[in-house]
Amino acid sequence: MSTAHPKAQLLEVSGVSVSFDGFKAINNLSFSIGPAELRAVIGPNGAGKTTFMDIITGKTRPDAGRVIWGPRSQSLLALSEAQIARAGVGRKFQRPTVFEDQSVEDNLMMALKADRRPFRVLFWRPESRDRERIAELAETIGLAGMLGRRAGELSHGQKQWLEIGMLLAQDPQLLLVDEPAAGMTPAEREHTTALLRSLAEQHAIVVVEHDMEFVRRLGCKVTVLHEGAVLAEGSLDHVTRNQEVIDVYLGR
Amino acid sequence: MTPSSRPSGLAALIRATPSLPWFLGALTLFTLLVTTLSEALGTGLVSTSFLKVLGMTLCFCLAALAMDLVWGYCGILSLGHMAFFGIGGYAIGMWLMYARTEAIVAESLANQLIPPTEAEIRDAIGAQIFGVVGASELPWIWGLAHALPLQLLMVVLVPGLLALVFGWLAFRSRVTGVYLSILTQAMTLALSLWLFQNDSGLRGNNGLSGLQNIPGFEALPQAQVALFFFWASALALGLGYLLFAWVVAGKMGGVIRAIRDDETRVRFLGYPVEGFKLFVFTLSAVVAGIAGALYYPQAGIINPGEIAPIASIYLAVWVAIGGRGRLYGAVLGAGFVSLVSTWFTGGGAPAIDLGIYRIDWVDWWLVLLGLSFVLVTLFAPKGLGGLVDLWTARQAPERHGSDLGPDEGALREPEAER
Repeated sequence: MSTAHPKAQLLEVSGVSVSFDGFKAINNLSFSIGPAELRAVIGPNGAGKTTFMDIITGKTRPDAGRVIWGPRSQSLLALSEAQIARAGVGRKFQRPTVFEDQSVEDNLMMALKADRRPFRVLFWRPESRDRERIAELAETIGLAGMLGRRAGELSHGQKQWLEIGMLLAQDPQLLLVDEPAAGMTPAEREHTTALLRSLAEQHAIVVVEHDMEFVRRLGCKVTVLHEGAVLAEGSLDHVTRNQEVIDVYLGR
Repeated sequence: MTPSSRPSGLAALIRATPSLPWFLGALTLFTLLVTTLSEALGTGLVSTSFLKVLGMTLCFCLAALAMDLVWGYCGILSLGHMAFFGIGGYAIGMWLMYARTEAIVAESLANQLIPPTEAEIRDAIGAQIFGVVGASELPWIWGLAHALPLQLLMVVLVPGLLALVFGWLAFRSRVTGVYLSILTQAMTLALSLWLFQNDSGLRGNNGLSGLQNIPGFEALPQAQVALFFFWASALALGLGYLLFAWVVAGKMGGVIRAIRDDETRVRFLGYPVEGFKLFVFTLSAVVAGIAGALYYPQAGIINPGEIAPIASIYLAVWVAIGGRGRLYGAVLGAGFVSLVSTWFTGGGAPAIDLGIYRIDWVDWWLVLLGLSFVLVTLFAPKGLGGLVDLWTARQAPERHGSDLGPDEGALREPEAER
């Protein structure tokens, strides 16, 4: 899977640059991922990992470059965050951001793929297949018995899972996952790895991670970012043998 | 909870808003009680002027509900909502004044040998209404004032359109937080300053007066008119509560509360946040307009001072003291604070003589109100509505002993509590 030929890519980022007050956060970065591929993005702090995700999801507008999406080669740069999300890009944040005031069920219900326009939402009421889908998701993320609980009552790990569940409920084609294993117990990490790998059979997944052990277990192609550009790309063994990578990242 | 156990329709609404039957029941009881004590139909223990105060208070409660939807549920601290309330009042006031003046003019011209033409009547009405500001012509904005249905439409349309345009401009530019609050203050200030001008076409600082006289019902005693408006206000409040309960019960409620808590996250879920804010802002402006249209015929007079920024700040204070983010909180706050305010400023509270200084509540009430606002914000952010939690918390499920984490390695309860 990691050797997929880049002719039918789902997302193609090319020559993207962005600077904040003169600081080049992303410097002529190019990146692409196929429709069913798992990719880990690693790099030291300040390498531009989060900014990279911000550009894809429309939060940050690049100064130069192109971001091309999907079979119709649509430019994501012209779309708003919400439009990009509706086009099929889902994002999971590093810090779990679930809506603590609302129940687990309501959190999942809100994420569930459906018409997002205000008047449609106003008149939307869950049908039995929506409830079944939510029950199924709750099963996957191990929160089946907790649908009625307030999300704020969950533990940190459970919130991480709930957010993964919300990501799945959106049914995106591309999942951007920022440090999914942060704050999880070893058993939860195992579960997360298995889930990501099985999802990658049908989805494109970009995982940003610090934890090398976790990346190793994902067993996928790795992209190393440094100073806003791609430093190396390939299998984990390949990139960890790269002298530049050792110098800037692993050697520290 | 199994997927099929959730009820639908009214049952789901009550489940999502448990206060709904309680509130509607209490409102009905209150209305019946006041009716039996009124001068028109009851013992007369509630004087007509106090009945009007109660009716106006219900209108404030409705405006506070609208404020709660926008602020408590959606997190938009609008400090200009009384502008919409005032516009509703002006819209109905124009018809009330026009129709009454028309009757007076028709009566005085009836004795002439030649029957007056339509233009003559119009001119006479203009002179009568605008004499106080040295004008005699009816401005264009009075073009629809002769027709009650059209002017009633304006009660809803003008606040709605203003909110739509203002909201579209503000939300599209992603103005949030305190900057948005300042903008809404500027909006209500600009509107009030414009209305203060004599050539605004709405009688400048004189405002519109004599609104308590309902054209066509001159023969009806004020006691009955007041009772009618009290009923109408109670009905509007009940319907408003039902409407907002329905809006916040479903997924819409979830999305707008999510916007309040984390707007960016909602965008990444694919929701067009601006559209939702615009919907909420406009809906609440329309309801505030309706509340104003019911309020001013009971108050009898409206002038630009009613739209001054301070009025909208009061509205926010009521909602904060009552408890935002819960519908009954807004009603409690508006009802309690505005009635207490009437009592203090009306000389109801006895002055306190300290020997060296005499605390006169007419002057000191605002200090007390400001102080209680600060205290509530600091020490009881849930407001009066938080008192209800003391009761419901006793019925909440006991969760001691349930797991805190999904798997081994997570904290156990004794560790977590340490």
